[in-house]
Amino acid sequence: MLQYLIRRLFGLIPTLLIVGILVFLFVHLLPGDPARLAAGPEATPETVALVRQDLGLDRPLPEQFLRFAGGVLHGDFGRSLRTKRPVSTEIGERFWPTFGLTLTSMVWSVVFGMGIGIVSAVWRNRWPDRLGMTLAVSGISFPAFALGMALMEIFAVQLNWLPSVGADTWRHYILPSLTLGAAVAAIMARFTRSSFVDILQEDYVRTARAKGLAESVVIVKHCLRNALIPVVTMMGLQFGFLLGGSIVVEVVFNWPGMGRLLVDAVDMRDYPVIQGLVLLFSLEFVLINLIVDVLYAVINPTIRFR
Amino acid sequence: MKPLLRSLALSALAACTLAAVPAQAAKDVVFAVASQFTTTDPYDANDTLSQAMAKSFYEGLYGFDKDMKMIPVLAESYTVSGDGLVYTIKLKHGIKFHDGTDFKADAVKVNLDRVTNPDNKLKRYGLYNNNIAKTEVVDDYTARITLKTPFSAFLNQLAHPATVMISPTALAKYGNKDIAFHPVGTGPFKFLEWKQTDYLKVVKNENYWQKGLPKVDSITWKPVIDSNSRAAVMQTGEAQFTYPLPYEQAEVLKAKADLDVVAAPSIIMRYLSMNTQQKPFDNPKVRQAIAYAINKDAVAKIAFSGYAVPADGIVPEGVEFAAKLGVWPYDLAKAKQLLAEAGYPNGFETELWSAYNHSIAQKLTQVVQQQLLQVGIKTKITLFEAGQRVEMVESWQNPATAPVRIYYTGWSSSTGEADWAIRPLLGSESWPPRLFNTAYYKSERVDADLKGALATTDQAEKARLYKDAQETVYRDTPWVPLVVEKLLSAKSKKLTGVYTMPDGSFDFTEIDLH
Repeated sequence: MLQYLIRRLFGLIPTLLIVGILVFLFVHLLPGDPARLAAGPEATPETVALVRQDLGLDRPLPEQFLRFAGGVLHGDFGRSLRTKRPVSTEIGERFWPTFGLTLTSMVWSVVFGMGIGIVSAVWRNRWPDRLGMTLAVSGISFPAFALGMALMEIFAVQLNWLPSVGADTWRHYILPSLTLGAAVAAIMARFTRSSFVDILQEDYVRTARAKGLAESVVIVKHCLRNALIPVVTMMGLQFGFLLGGSIVVEVVFNWPGMGRLLVDAVDMRDYPVIQGLVLLFSLEFVLINLIVDVLYAVINPTIRFR
Repeated sequence: MKPLLRSLALSALAACTLAAVPAQAAKDVVFAVASQFTTTDPYDANDTLSQAMAKSFYEGLYGFDKDMKMIPVLAESYTVSGDGLVYTIKLKHGIKFHDGTDFKADAVKVNLDRVTNPDNKLKRYGLYNNNIAKTEVVDDYTARITLKTPFSAFLNQLAHPATVMISPTALAKYGNKDIAFHPVGTGPFKFLEWKQTDYLKVVKNENYWQKGLPKVDSITWKPVIDSNSRAAVMQTGEAQFTYPLPYEQAEVLKAKADLDVVAAPSIIMRYLSMNTQQKPFDNPKVRQAIAYAINKDAVAKIAFSGYAVPADGIVPEGVEFAAKLGVWPYDLAKAKQLLAEAGYPNGFETELWSAYNHSIAQKLTQVVQQQLLQVGIKTKITLFEAGQRVEMVESWQNPATAPVRIYYTGWSSSTGEADWAIRPLLGSESWPPRLFNTAYYKSERVDADLKGALATTDQAEKARLYKDAQETVYRDTPWVPLVVEKLLSAKSKKLTGVYTMPDGSFDFTEIDLH
């Protein structure tokens, strides 16, 4: 197991290297001159040239790449072209708000989603199932920006129960995490349901019932564990997506997260920030995949690592 | 009063005195603004918002009041030599920077030398280096600035929110780059903290040189990106002032008892430029036909929801030396006749580009497209995102191959005078990639007028030259002047003394909370 983990972690290195090269090339292919954008419309060509020199963009591309790669090896991702602060600080400040929001959204959406999914599967085609699936379909189809604005209008503007924007206290987390988690909860509910429906028809479930076990024991002990494998895979994927920072939710709730940072960076062609963020996102995905694989073994001991 | 209650009240009072709680509640104001600040250093900023925010702690020798009239701030008076080259500026006495340094003529020299030195790589470098030859300290309270060529708009440049006085001590201590994180000025507020992702907070400067000001204890500048969320924080009371307010939220906020919605006049000109170097726009009749074919009232009503007025000239009212030339009439018959005379009786096909991709630009280009279709001109709309715009328009190197045809864009003269409203947009020296003459317009008469106006120190002569330049442009029609925007902001009824200035900056000298 430990050996497996170490091998997987080493496998990260070529992946990140390839991502690094691709991102660097793609970012520099984007139309638009960052020096012109940073200098602004009122700037003269002399000023633009000064800004270009200041940002190190007057160097040949291979040299820029070597400087970028060399910096990354030392943990230095360069400085933002826009704010002139280190990229690591820019991303670091925004990582925790996004992480906190992702975590709270995941917790409630997994609990609710799996609950609804199990209830729907057990009472399949009866009213709890119909209610649960109606909720799930609404959750998927209701766009996040509309849900966010509706929640804000009701709970912040009309009722004044919760703050509208920012990320200062736990109360600030309620509305954005509801908005962000709605779609995830819906997806989890549908996944859990379909996975559970299959399991409920397995032979060992019939055997367990024939043994005279209570239905609740059958469901929690015999079914849930086996139904979890596809659900955990989905959970990992969703977690990865949410960690990238939801642009819509972060804009509506003015959340100081990474989604907004990415949009701002692309707008201003802030190369170092885009590169840093994409590298971080790839790293997150690879790590989450690894965690999901380990979880498989915890859930189902018959799965072995090689 | 019962003994117990009285002793309780007394001890409460004592506790208050001990904790030195001020008699009144602290007056803290929150401004919700539309984007994040790029820097606190006005010499290195190119956005109006960062410079407006920096007015909390920085002041210039001159400044603008809420109507964009120039006023002396740190300067007492000035004299200019007969040849218009040497400006001698007397400074006010007894002013201190936040760090205790006395404000003297050496500060003027340090700040102007800093921006004109290319090694410092400041974004405003070009603006100053073009005209300032040297700055000298005559005595403690007199500074002398010598220009390279006569530049009659120089005082306006000193009044621009970029030209501020930074404490020389702080500049020496923090250096050219780090000063942006430790601003030290003479302004009414002192810098407290800047949490880049969240807010920037400034607190009252107790030793401010204008007695009795400021009247509030702190201002928190809070960027709230989404415009509907900005309207929401006004309704919840989390902010007391917001700009810009989206048009569709104006009616909702007007209905609230504790909020005021203000539509202020601006000097933001919205226009279509036509590439005069390319067929068919090289023919003035075609350009005039397009100007006749567009209903400017409809543009103001549909695209700007009525928060704009049809432009009545090339330079908007409120800019010094702006000439009122009348709204270009809407006349389809005339437009068709001119097109026929120019050899395009059935119109033609062309590109309509927009410098912005927000919803106002979407509506506006669609209105223009429909109206041009009525005279047979078919247009293909492209809305640019900032990077594409720079690539396709602003940085295009060869004027002969410039792909821009009809181009929707806008401008506000940040120095409040006619030179910066005409020269960068219509001077023949300003073709991209130098500046912003997207019409590739060239008129020797306009060039001569602009040059003459900069060289003269005679106000009447200056007014005459600028009027002539504007009339010439109007006749040649490289643009269709569309509308002048109104600036929509919302504020709490308790807040007074905060104004949106015509260039989209803010004036909050007299800010107070009741």
